[in-house]
Amino acid sequence: MNPTSFENQNQPRWQRLEDMVAATEKGRAPDDVEQIPTLFRQTCHDLAIAQNRLHRRALIERLNELAIRSYRSLERRSAGGWERIFQTLTVTFPKAFRSEWRLFWFCSLIFWGPFLAFALWTPHDPEWAMALLGPKQMIALEEMYGGHETTQEFLRKEHGSDFMMFCFYIYNNVGIDLRTFAGGLLGGVGSLFILLFNGLQIGASTGYIHHACSPTSFYCFTTGHSAPELLGMVISGMAGMRLGLAFLLPGPHDRKTALQLGGRRAILLLAGAAALTAFAAIIEGFWSARILAPWIKYTFGACMWTATIAYLTLAGRNSNHAP
Amino acid sequence: MPTPALTDTLQRVELADGVEIHLRIAGPAARSVAWLVDCAILLVCYTLLGIAVTYLSSWIGNEAGTGFFFLSLFLLNWFYNVAFELGPRAASPGQRLLGLKVASISGGPVSPQQSIIRNLLRTVDFLPFGYLCGLGSCLFTRRFQRLGDLVANTVVIYAGTEKPGAQLSLAHTAPAPPPVPLSREEQAALLQFFERAPQWSDQRKLELATILEPLTHARDAASLDQLARMNAWLLQLGSTEPAQTPEAASAATATP
Repeated sequence: MNPTSFENQNQPRWQRLEDMVAATEKGRAPDDVEQIPTLFRQTCHDLAIAQNRLHRRALIERLNELAIRSYRSLERRSAGGWERIFQTLTVTFPKAFRSEWRLFWFCSLIFWGPFLAFALWTPHDPEWAMALLGPKQMIALEEMYGGHETTQEFLRKEHGSDFMMFCFYIYNNVGIDLRTFAGGLLGGVGSLFILLFNGLQIGASTGYIHHACSPTSFYCFTTGHSAPELLGMVISGMAGMRLGLAFLLPGPHDRKTALQLGGRRAILLLAGAAALTAFAAIIEGFWSARILAPWIKYTFGACMWTATIAYLTLAGRNSNHAP
Repeated sequence: MPTPALTDTLQRVELADGVEIHLRIAGPAARSVAWLVDCAILLVCYTLLGIAVTYLSSWIGNEAGTGFFFLSLFLLNWFYNVAFELGPRAASPGQRLLGLKVASISGGPVSPQQSIIRNLLRTVDFLPFGYLCGLGSCLFTRRFQRLGDLVANTVVIYAGTEKPGAQLSLAHTAPAPPPVPLSREEQAALLQFFERAPQWSDQRKLELATILEPLTHARDAASLDQLARMNAWLLQLGSTEPAQTPEAASAATATP
């Protein structure tokens, strides 16, 4: 068969597939949509023949393009995204988190170590914390948690719109989570730096408030959202470290494959971390600034810690889905 | 098949059906331009957002307006590309303008995870400034992948086929068989020479035809004429039986 007759003979079939794929790309399903796989295989066959027989380039390119387009059409994922997100948050993420328990303790150490050191040391010797925080931040802390009558007014004014603060926390805190993950690609250094820096910063603030402000007003504000926010931060550090370790210690794979596999596991952890942080933003925006009796705040905080830890340790245990 | 050249923008991918497709990988230059276009679009978006928030604030209050601003900023910063890559065209507006699209390494569509990974890692690709890390990675990988692409296992490819150029008319050429049997690669080289010939100047055609002197035993126009006859013969025959003596006319492989 010569090239011209090959083309003439098969042209209607290619045209038919082209039209059908164009329709599916626009979201319409042609009547005989179940024929696409068959036509696709035939076209692949034609492409192989054309390549082998050195047919003209324009024809090969057209068939090549048609094969790619049909392949993309066939491989397209159908909807059902919400179900998948739900599945990820209730089963897949907690399971992945538990399977990375070593990383959890490591990242916890990096974050809580400097936090506790500064929080406990600063009341005795505030010099270090003061140097770290700088005058601006110290003034801001004293204004917010000074424990005077004005504090409540200040809070009410500052958080006059809960919605605004909620959006700001999403923008800022979830943004930090995402950056922590990305920093992991630098051999984990970026993630460790962000974890360490935040641990130091938050530890110094806590210590300084014990030294100079009213711890009660501080804890009243922070206990409610502390559990999901701080654990979310640690988990985003885990996501970054998973990526960094894949690069540093690829194990049985070559580095590229290890990075791809590590990236897949890391994005799961990051999804959970971002969800926890977003949840914390809701609490921080709409609950934390309310002026209520301290015991209510503390009880709520304790409930949040219990709930978050229970979620991470128990969720998805009974599910048979593979992680 | 000869060993593939080190830098080839045509990447062979084997699908499950055993058929080979070719992806045309986009290089850093086209991608940079696409990125600049996206930057300009984002700039316009930020400006419009600022104006929208100013108007919105008078409606729903200053704080709620600011909140809306932060939320939009968050989504634009992190998910502008993701939203477009998961759309039907798999390309951001900038990429679309340059005829590019994002694909999984097999040529298939990107999954949400892949798209999120490759776009979150822009933060690292951007370091130390102006996507220098990404550019370095592009130059040192076979498929022009930046770091985000490497981790997400994605490539940026040209969407659609190359525009076919003018076709050479061979109606008046009398077919003549080549003096020695040509191997498959040599036949392919000859056929492609005449497919691409309309894009070149006459001098270039003659220059390339003269390289084939060992095959045609002629120079310049005479050589080109002979080659045209062989080309017509190959086309007419439409068959490419493997040659018995592949060492013959080895100079022919030097064609484009």
